[in-house]
Amino acid sequence: MAKYQTGMAAIFNDEHQLVDAARKSREMGFKKFEAISPFPIHGMEEACGIKRSWIPYVTFVAGLTGLSLGTLFTWWTSAVSWAINVGGKPFFSLPAFVPIMFELTILFAALSSVGALFVACGLPKVNPPVIDPDLTCNRFALFIPSNDAGYDEGRISEMFRSMGAAEIKKAEF
Amino acid sequence: MAAHSHSELVVKKFQPTAMLQMGALVMAGIGILAFCAGLFVAPDRMWPAYLTAFFYVSCLGLGGMFWVFINHVSKAGWSTSTRRIAEGMTSFIPVILVGGLILALGLGRLYMWTDAEVMQSSAMLSGKTPYLNTGFFIVRMLIFAIGMFLFARVIVGNSLKQDSSGDHSLTHKNVGLSVAGIVFFALSFSLFSVDLLMSLLPTWYSTIFGVYCFAGMFQSSLAFFILVLMYIKKKGYVQGYYNVEHFHDIAKYLKGFTIFWAYIAFSQFMLIWYANIPEETEYYLMRAQNGWMAISMALLIFKFVVPFLALLPRAWKRNEKHLAIVCVLVLVMQYLDIHWMVYPNFNDNHFTLGLWEIAMLVGFLGIMGLTMIHFFKKHSLVAVKDPRLEEALHHHVTY
Repeated sequence: MAKYQTGMAAIFNDEHQLVDAARKSREMGFKKFEAISPFPIHGMEEACGIKRSWIPYVTFVAGLTGLSLGTLFTWWTSAVSWAINVGGKPFFSLPAFVPIMFELTILFAALSSVGALFVACGLPKVNPPVIDPDLTCNRFALFIPSNDAGYDEGRISEMFRSMGAAEIKKAEF
Repeated sequence: MAAHSHSELVVKKFQPTAMLQMGALVMAGIGILAFCAGLFVAPDRMWPAYLTAFFYVSCLGLGGMFWVFINHVSKAGWSTSTRRIAEGMTSFIPVILVGGLILALGLGRLYMWTDAEVMQSSAMLSGKTPYLNTGFFIVRMLIFAIGMFLFARVIVGNSLKQDSSGDHSLTHKNVGLSVAGIVFFALSFSLFSVDLLMSLLPTWYSTIFGVYCFAGMFQSSLAFFILVLMYIKKKGYVQGYYNVEHFHDIAKYLKGFTIFWAYIAFSQFMLIWYANIPEETEYYLMRAQNGWMAISMALLIFKFVVPFLALLPRAWKRNEKHLAIVCVLVLVMQYLDIHWMVYPNFNDNHFTLGLWEIAMLVGFLGIMGLTMIHFFKKHSLVAVKDPRLEEALHHHVTY
């Protein structure tokens, strides 16, 4: 079960304010902050300084694993363990095995990607704390956890105020 | 968003460099001269070369039309700043009508079904005469070429009209027209490829053949589309309207249809290989002997495996130089693919690639160059008054 951090949250009414707030927080030296929005915002990744996800690499390696296992599996069952002559074709007939190799590639790649996504996002989060109920509808929030470098409530609320936050509160996320 | 602001938007009038203009003219001239000479000197070499080059370059033009269709149907915003270039590719479509009529002169040299004696020789062939006869062949060709000509004329025409009027209703009109266009194209292009390529061996058939040709058509035309976009951008005719984000997404299309081609090619091969019926395996046997096996394997590796891996990482799709090399590879392999479909039927199944083939290809590419230069000289290089243009300018691919 994921653990939640206490910290400071600023609520904004406009998504542009959120992007600016994220950029400013990064410039102030914060690293672990989260931007929360009901919809994707262009330029948000750059503003937050988020690096590329590592999930595609998991997908690629898992896909290769699936491909290799599919090859091994078809070879072992059809040519080693229980060799059967099908239509006079060679026991190890690659064209016949390609669909199975392909399906296992996709199966491994897809399931591993979902698994990696759960790990990357710290899912599942059961009954998480709610900063503001409108964050899934029409408001935006920036959250700075208390374990971030340079965390100081006075300094942060000063910063939030200068960013034009509609509301500033202590929260858990 | 400051990072993505479009500081500079430039659309210059297209002034082809002397090299480009002369190059296209000389290429077209070589093709026409070679065609005339070939008619008398070596008609048996010239006609297959003509058919291969005609089909190859027609596919590039038709692919432009298909791109326009699907982007209208999906009401895509991100691609509007690039659409005019695809519309320019459709300027080749009228040539399909002319080229198709010229092809009709060479039917006797190309298709054994034009010989009544051959058709009477077996029940399998004589049963196909209601479909495979010169008259019906030409009628089908005319329906396809005129139909595509009209769709291109109306849909691209609407887009060009919008450049001056800015009328939004033209964009809405093009949606319905494109839906009709896709349906017409799907049916008639299947028959077009069956007629021109599959009927070279009238005893053989594959129900997936039209889709196979479609996959190659769209794959190669996307590669060509990317190269033209790069050229226009590099020469500075258009600045700020499309950037690495657009190339990234069109490269995704290219990767997608590279996979699609492999999927269709394998589906066709595997069912025939598995069933192992002589009348079906004939096609692949012809492509497994006399050196053709090397080409068959090259198609698998260089039309699928290499482009697929080369387009897999994000950074490689966003690197223009790298992308350009992949596009050239795909275009070369598409020519080889069509060559591979045509030539095993000629010259006693021996691999043939010589000056006649190159001259015909150069000629048709030159003609396409001329039609595109003519189109871009007359019209703006960007659909400047498209209502969705703003969306394209802000296009941004997230991680």
